[in-house]
Amino acid sequence: MATLVLVAHPQVADSTTQQFLHASLPASQVTWHELGDLGPIDVAAEQALLRQADRIILQFPLYWYAAPASFKRWEDTVLTRNFVYGDHRYPLAGKELGVVVSTGMPQTAFRRGGTENLTLDAALAPLAAVAHRAKLTWLPLFPVYQFGYMTEPQKLQLVIDYQRYLTQTQPDTLANRQAWFAARLPAMIARLSANQRQTGQLVAATFDQQCDDLEGLTDTLAMIKEADDDE
Amino acid sequence: MTSKQDWLHQQIQALAAQQPQFTDRAFWVALDRVVTEQAQRHDQLQGEIDGRTWRPDKW
Repeated sequence: MATLVLVAHPQVADSTTQQFLHASLPASQVTWHELGDLGPIDVAAEQALLRQADRIILQFPLYWYAAPASFKRWEDTVLTRNFVYGDHRYPLAGKELGVVVSTGMPQTAFRRGGTENLTLDAALAPLAAVAHRAKLTWLPLFPVYQFGYMTEPQKLQLVIDYQRYLTQTQPDTLANRQAWFAARLPAMIARLSANQRQTGQLVAATFDQQCDDLEGLTDTLAMIKEADDDE
Repeated sequence: MTSKQDWLHQQIQALAAQQPQFTDRAFWVALDRVVTEQAQRHDQLQGEIDGRTWRPDKW
């Protein structure tokens, strides 16, 4: 699956959040594309990038409850009416659209009665409307609240949660999570030092076994439920 | 937690602790979280199977 990450930040190089996310990118199948200093926008090239992607990620810090100006400029220039829906061809139909939004306020602020008195879903409703118009599948938001205050365990978790948001099959079920980890285990084992590799292989074998066990139990339960329904 | 899960948890944590690169460590730590989730799901499924199999109204 090809993922396109469109990064809208006025100074990506100075943003610790954006640099952290950039360093967390999965090894392959992801294109990181910065919108901040595009200069004159090559509309055809930008549209070609969109056409090639299976999943499109909009990534930006929240500025006054919206994406920064560079995103709006890109959006107004690249997402022409004809391209999105005007000729009834819908080139973006069936692709997925995700949003990675970083905020300076904590999660608790983004709710009715909270400091911001607004949910992120409500704030970003215009993007969801564009997705709907383009027949894109809207993925649940991926907010990064107050990156600067995150502890090391939280940052470790953010690395993989972000990678999964970019590349894992949705919805984010246990079965899809398991498949994502199983697919990456061989490459991760190859990165281990020689004396750790055997342990890595044992871990992978045990993990696979647990996946199979769960599948077996799920099937058994489905059969029992079916029999119960028939009574 | 069964002894197998306990063993798996320990092995993964040991691997995680030995990774010099942050993103590599993150992978193993996250795998450990999925393994914990697997154990919970296993117990829930097994519990539901037991519950549905041993219903007194079907005796």
